Amino acid sequence: MKYGTTFSFCWSGGSKLLLYHYSHIEVKLTKCLFKMSSFSRSAQQWATFARSWFLIDARMQPPGKIASMCSVRLQGKHKPIYHPMSDIGDHVVVMNTRHIAFSGNKWEQKVYSSHTGYPGSFKQLTAAQMHKKDPTAIIKLAVYGMLPKNLTRRTMMQRLHLFTDDVLPEDILENLTEELPQPREIPRKLSEYTQEECDAFPMLWTPPEDYRMK
Amino acid sequence: MTARGTPSRFLQSVLHNGVGRYVCQLKRISLIFSKKGQGSLGVRDFIEEGVVDFAKNNPGTVVYISPQSCRIPKIVAEYLNGNVKEETVTNKTSQEIVELITKLSNQSGLDIIRIRKPFHTDSPSIQGQWHPFTNRPPSIDPVGPQAK
Repeated sequence: MKYGTTFSFCWSGGSKLLLYHYSHIEVKLTKCLFKMSSFSRSAQQWATFARSWFLIDARMQPPGKIASMCSVRLQGKHKPIYHPMSDIGDHVVVMNTRHIAFSGNKWEQKVYSSHTGYPGSFKQLTAAQMHKKDPTAIIKLAVYGMLPKNLTRRTMMQRLHLFTDDVLPEDILENLTEELPQPREIPRKLSEYTQEECDAFPMLWTPPEDYRMK
Repeated sequence: MTARGTPSRFLQSVLHNGVGRYVCQLKRISLIFSKKGQGSLGVRDFIEEGVVDFAKNNPGTVVYISPQSCRIPKIVAEYLNGNVKEETVTNKTSQEIVELITKLSNQSGLDIIRIRKPFHTDSPSIQGQWHPFTNRPPSIDPVGPQAK
C-alpha cells in the first residue's frame, strides 16, 4: 500500500507576487496540488535533491551560533538523505552581518591571526579591527572553521552568501524559500518598554520622599 | 577486467515472473551430437536415460535432438527473452549433462553479468519519498527583508 503525501494549500489573491520570491525549482514543488507519489522516477529524484535557499538575519546575534546554523545547512545535515559524499548542501544567505553581537569582551579580546609564510608577516587583528576592515569576515571565518576540513569545504563556502546590511540583490531575493528563526532572543532596551510595563514592574523597596537618586 | 569495463545490470525478473504464476523461461533446448564420436558418449547416454524424464518434467520446454556429424557436441538453450546460450559438452558424463540441463532450465534468459545490487524493489517508498517540503510547509508570506 502506498501512502502518497498530498499537497494542497490555497493561494491568496497575491499568488503571482508570492511566486516571484521562490526559486524556480521549488515553485514547481510548492505548486503541486496532486500526489507526489504520482511523480515519475526522475521527477521524484529531482524533487528530493532540490537545493533550498535559506535566509538568516544576523542582527544582534552571536556570530558563532549563526555560523553553526549555517554550517549545518551548508553540509546538508538537516536532511534525512545526508551523505558526506553526496553534495546536498543548501544555499544560506546571511544578512545584517555588520550588526552581529559578540558576548562578553570578545570584540577586544578575540584575536584573528594570520601569517603569509614570509618573515615578518605575522598579523594579529582583534575582532573589532577585523570587523571594521571587513564586516563579513567574522562570520565567514567562523563558518569556514565549522565546516568539515576537506575539499568540499570550498564548494560549501561558495554557497554561503553574506551581506553586510539587509539590502539583497534581486536574483537572491527571488530564490529564498525560508527564513530561519534567530538563535538568540534579542533583549529589549529600556526605551522599548512602555510606561505601563515599567510601572507594573515590582519595586524592591519604596524610597522615602526626600531620597535623592544619583 | 574491472567492474567498470565489463557490462553490468540491475537485478530483475523477466516480466515479474513468479509474482503470479511461474513460467519456465527456457523455451527450447537442442542437443547436437554425433552418433559415433567419442566426445558425444555422455550425450548419447543422457539421451538413452534422462532426456525423456526431463522433457516430461518441463512441459513448457521443447527438446530437440539432432544427430549430426560434428566434432564437438553442444547444447543450445534458447530463452523466452531471446537469449541463446551454447554449451559444449565434449567428454562430459551423463550425470554432468543432467546437472547442466537442470541449471539451464532454472535460469532466466537474462545475461550472466555483474549484478549491481543484490536487491530490487518496484515500490522503494511506502510513506512517500522525502523532499524538502515534507516536514516544513513552505511559507505563505514572502521571504526577505521587505517582509519586516
